[in-house]
Amino acid sequence: MEQISKELRKTALRLSHICQDGNLQSVFSCLDIVWALYDKVMNWSPETAEDENRDFFIISKGQATLALFPVLIEKGMFTLDDMKNMGKFDSRFCIQTDVTKFRGGVENSAGSLGHGMPFGAGLAAGSKIQGLPSRVYVLAGDGEFCEGTMWESCIFASAKKLDNFCVVVDDNDSVGAMVDMGNMSAKLRAFGFDVFSADGHDLAALERTFAQAKEPDGRPKAVVAKTVRGYGSKTMMENDIWFHKAPNKEELAMLTKEVERF
Amino acid sequence: MRRAFLHRVDEMIKNEPDTVFFTVDIGMWAIRDVLRGYPDRCMNVGIYEDGMFGFAAGLARRGLVPTIFGIQPYLTERTLEQIKMDFAYQKLGVNVVGTGAAVDYPKYGYSHYCAEDVGAIKLIPGCEFAAPGTAKQFLQLFNQSYRNGKPTFFRVSDHPNRTLDPDVEFGKANVIKTGSKATVIAVSVLLDAVMEACADEDVTVLYYTTLEPFDRETLARNAGSGKILIAEPEYRGSLLYDIHEALPGRPLRIAQVAFPREIFRNYGTYDEKMRYYGLTARSIREKLTDLIG
Repeated sequence: MEQISKELRKTALRLSHICQDGNLQSVFSCLDIVWALYDKVMNWSPETAEDENRDFFIISKGQATLALFPVLIEKGMFTLDDMKNMGKFDSRFCIQTDVTKFRGGVENSAGSLGHGMPFGAGLAAGSKIQGLPSRVYVLAGDGEFCEGTMWESCIFASAKKLDNFCVVVDDNDSVGAMVDMGNMSAKLRAFGFDVFSADGHDLAALERTFAQAKEPDGRPKAVVAKTVRGYGSKTMMENDIWFHKAPNKEELAMLTKEVERF
Repeated sequence: MRRAFLHRVDEMIKNEPDTVFFTVDIGMWAIRDVLRGYPDRCMNVGIYEDGMFGFAAGLARRGLVPTIFGIQPYLTERTLEQIKMDFAYQKLGVNVVGTGAAVDYPKYGYSHYCAEDVGAIKLIPGCEFAAPGTAKQFLQLFNQSYRNGKPTFFRVSDHPNRTLDPDVEFGKANVIKTGSKATVIAVSVLLDAVMEACADEDVTVLYYTTLEPFDRETLARNAGSGKILIAEPEYRGSLLYDIHEALPGRPLRIAQVAFPREIFRNYGTYDEKMRYYGLTARSIREKLTDLIG
């Protein structure tokens, strides 16, 4: 694992420890995707975070918001010190997001599943109507695709030819524990998407895949990124208690060490 | 009222390039020109209200002014979480124009009735609700609010007031007449019935077409008797919270003419339903007589 992936995970652990909450398995699953987008793909920087031409990152799987904040810290939008009160009564930062507390950096209020994808499709349609070059990247979980609004968005994005819209499926087989969803890529293709696959923990592969997923062909894009829950920590990958658990001081030290050695 | 709205949509799409209109497969004939001429901004978008509200929120976030037209229960109940998360929580604006409430589709059954729309929307902070009594009033309320950046719901009725049609202002109640024995709150399409019952009575009549935000000041200034009769074409009690907040610490006697909080399992006509549930001038007069003695 590249050093940046380790650093981001260590920050996520610290944030989870600070606010004593979090869904770290899910966070570790998608952190590399979020970093690849912000570092190599999106037209975005802290300086242009409110520019109308910027690209949008929409976190639809809100439980993984702790994957967004380390990336924004690394990019200079916030500092770890800004977040030392995370989760406290009057903090701007919590386990999910409240867009009204930010001017740039956070693009949507997340929390309930199945909202980010239609919101992102609307952003993409709005960008087209206004002739703006923005692309919209929505991070969704494979389990989230049980929500009907995800498929409603697929109909809309395809019918409206939103080739500036890209849904990234953090495919860590969460859905497998619930239902047999069948072939996600085939389903999205049937809905009219250009579908790409990638190893969701390989930064170079993600960069290459996202570069391909920009064809202005009138079809929305989907990148199905194969991931592993808790990737980067042996303990988290093996023990599902980390689906929803925050590290105490000793666990923080242990997990940090584990990430560093991964 | 519907025709006035759709004419306004036609005009809005043609003249205001930052407006977008979604219909959920109704009213297309009236706006066929703009549906054909402006496919990017005027759409028969598909029958998926939940997702559609999310799309509209995204459009609003990009600085556009979305307006949605559909059938009231699907626009206000199916979508309740979208209203909360996508619009209220994110402080984004949309105009939602719903037809059918409360019992304008009288033969369709409870799926199409919607006496709970006012109560449901009023529970989500930041939302607005308008229930005009005539087509002219719809246009006044819509034009005053459609760009205010808030989620604003409009209940359009196929049974408007036929006699009285005062000018209205968004967020303000009209003082139709003043008297001393009681205050009658006439809501939306019940103004004609209220005035038929109360024209010769020594009572104050207030006319409400904006139900959220509720004009508490006008009520506070015009409720000296402490006796209130509410005549509202929605579930009983939809406005009680505001009435108590408007008149804090006051002993009140309140009578209500409204739909009872039950599942309607009957069909027939609109007038039959209004009679059955007592939303008539006669019932208003009887309740008023009881109230003022």
